[in-house]
Amino acid sequence: MTIHTKWIRTVCPAHCGIDACGITAHVQGDRVVKLEPAEFPDPKHRRICLRGLSSLEITYHPDRLQYPLKRAGERGEGKFKRISWDEALDFIADKFKKIATTHGWPAIAWVLGGPGAGTTKFGAYLRLASLTRSTRVSAWGYGDAGLPCGSRVIFGTQFPFGFLFSQLWSGSPDAEMIVVWGANPGESQPLNLMRPIMDAKARGARLVVIDPRYTVTASKADQYVGIKPGTDAALALGLMHVIFNKRLKDDAFILRHTAGPYLVRDDNGQYLRGKDIGLPEENEYIIWDKRTDSPKRRSAADIQPALTGKFAVNGIACKPSLQLLRDLAQAYNPRHTSEITGVDAALITRLAERIGSSSTVIFVTHMGLTRTYYGDISFRALASVAALTGNVTATFKGGYLPAVLNWDPFLKAKPGEPSYKRLGILQLYDAVIKGNPYPVKAVWFSFINFLNQCADSRKIAEKIFPQLDLIVDTELFMTPTARYADILLPVCSYLEFSDLIPHPYPYVQLQQKVIEPLYESKSDVDIAAGLAERLGFGEYFQGGEDGFIDLILDSGNDSIKGVTREKLKEGAMSLMLIPEMDREFDIPFSTATGKIELYSESLYENGQALPVFAEPLETPIRPENRKYPLAFVQGHSRFRTHSMFANVKSLLEMNPEPVVEINPRDAAERNIANEERVEVFNDRARTLLKAKLTEGVRPGVINITQGWWIDQFQKGSVNHLTHDVINPVQEKVYEPNMHMNDVAVEVAKYKSEKEV
Amino acid sequence: MNQRLGLIIDQERCIGCEACTVACRTENRGQSGWIRVKTQNSPDKDTPVGTFPNVSMHFLPTLCNHCEQPPCADACPLDAITKSDRGIIILLEDACDGCQACLDACPYGVIEFNADKGIAEKCNLCIHRIKVGLEPFCAICCEGQAIHFGDLDDPGSIVSKLSNTEGAFCLRPEAGTKPSVYYLPPKPPRGL
Repeated sequence: MTIHTKWIRTVCPAHCGIDACGITAHVQGDRVVKLEPAEFPDPKHRRICLRGLSSLEITYHPDRLQYPLKRAGERGEGKFKRISWDEALDFIADKFKKIATTHGWPAIAWVLGGPGAGTTKFGAYLRLASLTRSTRVSAWGYGDAGLPCGSRVIFGTQFPFGFLFSQLWSGSPDAEMIVVWGANPGESQPLNLMRPIMDAKARGARLVVIDPRYTVTASKADQYVGIKPGTDAALALGLMHVIFNKRLKDDAFILRHTAGPYLVRDDNGQYLRGKDIGLPEENEYIIWDKRTDSPKRRSAADIQPALTGKFAVNGIACKPSLQLLRDLAQAYNPRHTSEITGVDAALITRLAERIGSSSTVIFVTHMGLTRTYYGDISFRALASVAALTGNVTATFKGGYLPAVLNWDPFLKAKPGEPSYKRLGILQLYDAVIKGNPYPVKAVWFSFINFLNQCADSRKIAEKIFPQLDLIVDTELFMTPTARYADILLPVCSYLEFSDLIPHPYPYVQLQQKVIEPLYESKSDVDIAAGLAERLGFGEYFQGGEDGFIDLILDSGNDSIKGVTREKLKEGAMSLMLIPEMDREFDIPFSTATGKIELYSESLYENGQALPVFAEPLETPIRPENRKYPLAFVQGHSRFRTHSMFANVKSLLEMNPEPVVEINPRDAAERNIANEERVEVFNDRARTLLKAKLTEGVRPGVINITQGWWIDQFQKGSVNHLTHDVINPVQEKVYEPNMHMNDVAVEVAKYKSEKEV
Repeated sequence: MNQRLGLIIDQERCIGCEACTVACRTENRGQSGWIRVKTQNSPDKDTPVGTFPNVSMHFLPTLCNHCEQPPCADACPLDAITKSDRGIIILLEDACDGCQACLDACPYGVIEFNADKGIAEKCNLCIHRIKVGLEPFCAICCEGQAIHFGDLDDPGSIVSKLSNTEGAFCLRPEAGTKPSVYYLPPKPPRGL
């Protein structure tokens, strides 16, 4: 008898929200037997990774949660009893209503993490949050808010991930140079990002990698720059020093696209406005016109704005904002910069010269360097280097539209009416513990392993969880977080439900349901619908996943016109291409000035109008006499997507347990041998694991890859060592970030209790 | 159809991710992947050589070289290892009695003994896929796009061209086995 094999095109969304691979599932009967990379209109996107290849092990994992569970022991104990879906959802709905009666609906918080690349599964809970006017907890702050905080200051809101890799994605002209700064795409984004980087390198681009770790990405570099963690802003200022002094800046770009020529008042640090000099255009920004040697509106005709100098306007002393940046950079000569950053002074000069003299430089960064207390400033500083040298995409001449999906049906379920409240994930801590800014009494976790992945795990377990009246978790597995749930709901693996996937750019794909949900698991959309029914919002949840997919497609932006669910079943569809136009348009930046703001007047009162370098919160850049002299960073591992895949057997065979990477020089000082058990510790915790001696980390730095589950450590975990300190500027600009890479520790040989 | 099917593995493009190993395992159901990624000159995986910051790290995926002169086939007392007319060295599982003479004979250490089955196992270049016009699964799944497949005897093929580029090499040429797996070396860093 031959076995009939059915092929179904779907999507593995197991990247963290910014990429996804089209795959073809081979199905025999009701079982998926094999996955392979699907054909793609553009063959460079035909791809899969080692996790995607292993993802059947998640679907058919023996430990999958099979039916709804209700807690039967203490929280964290892991004792549960089986209940029905009706019992589970009735219980939650009842509890929600009671909490809402006492504390109001905002006391119920939806903590939705990295959704993979899904839209409707995420959207369903947002819609319910919107309808109930409860609280949506944004997950940007668990590591990813630093970059957008910085990006918002310098570029405005339209670049949530910065200007950085959009150029690589959109296939813009060949770069002469690529600077990968504080990111390791070779391991964390090998397909969407490392492939185009290596393609560009093959076409001649010079690759520079700046990182305290010698990563796989660094191994491909023409020049590796092994910086001290937490000193990126200083390096950027050092580069600017050389760029200013050697006249390598791009004045035409600065004049056209930045607020560099706008005058700033010496007395109050604010941009000079029309009203300050008696112009009828009260709020207009003012420049100094070199042609007439007088102040003019920025939009006046026939002006030659000054970028440097000191001027007195109406008796008000002021300078172009670029002059202020220049003054700041003057303090960072290569020698001084070298002392701070640990990067050789001659290398700093040479790097600045290369950046300044190359025709096109693409800066690639991600979240590594922004997971520090001043990570937003680090981003602003490196973005300033890019802007000074004209290496920011600031014009549009046709191409794919960046906006993909219209999320409004989820964000504003009832148009014109109030929606949910929003809290940053780091703000949730105080909301639960102190009722500040308002009390949160119930949390719903989906797509998040909160206890494992958020700062200060012990605080979460000991201070946050006990304060909550209800913890719900939708999960595939009994994760460290799931153990604390009152109600634990089994969700489908990605092969068991449909979703709309706006990746890889510029494509849209359908994650097509391949098999029926296993056991009693349900999709997140179905779970949300079941609860919505009980809360009186059933009418907003008709049609299941397909209904929501159609809702997005039908309410879509121009960019997805013509994309339908039926067509997507056959394969990926690209966004609408805007034909090349005969002239370039300046991209309006959504900053106050509409320009790239190298200087931010709104942060003057915080002392951060410029990207000033400040010593990290904990990272010891001067380790002498420090109780905790080592900088702890958390790289990403190719064997996991955050904490996903940590329990997959075939990957564990290749990478069996957590290790702390330590430089042999640091190990020798501590008498630590390779593979020996050590404790990594600070005042918050002691984490016990094996040491791996490697020249792949800078002396003074240790690395433990993030995402290992707490129970995979003999004691502690990565986030037992991290802290939940809030940076108020980030809170003001966008949302406070967790500073996982701004942590000081010491490492010592482990002595068992008998030996002590 | 006389061919010399083989692979070109580009070390410049290999990012050491081991997707090839996982792909092989899912495709061939071997006990482990028949293509393994080593970190060159380093005793430990994913560990650079040198002293920080003057370090380097290169990856070397190894698998059956599908040699023109396969010592494993010569060593097999049961003729369980044969060469196809397309140049693929095939280990016939049904004919193998697990004597492991091939493991000793292979200069590359790429034949494995599957203790559960009691037989030797190695890469067969995904011959079941080649027969239906598909490429070996490792080549399809390579994250770095470092693995090229084709007929080395076809002067127009990419693999033939790449195998003749400067620096292309085979492992242990002195063993005289004439491998059908070639490597392209990593590009030396150009500095700034």
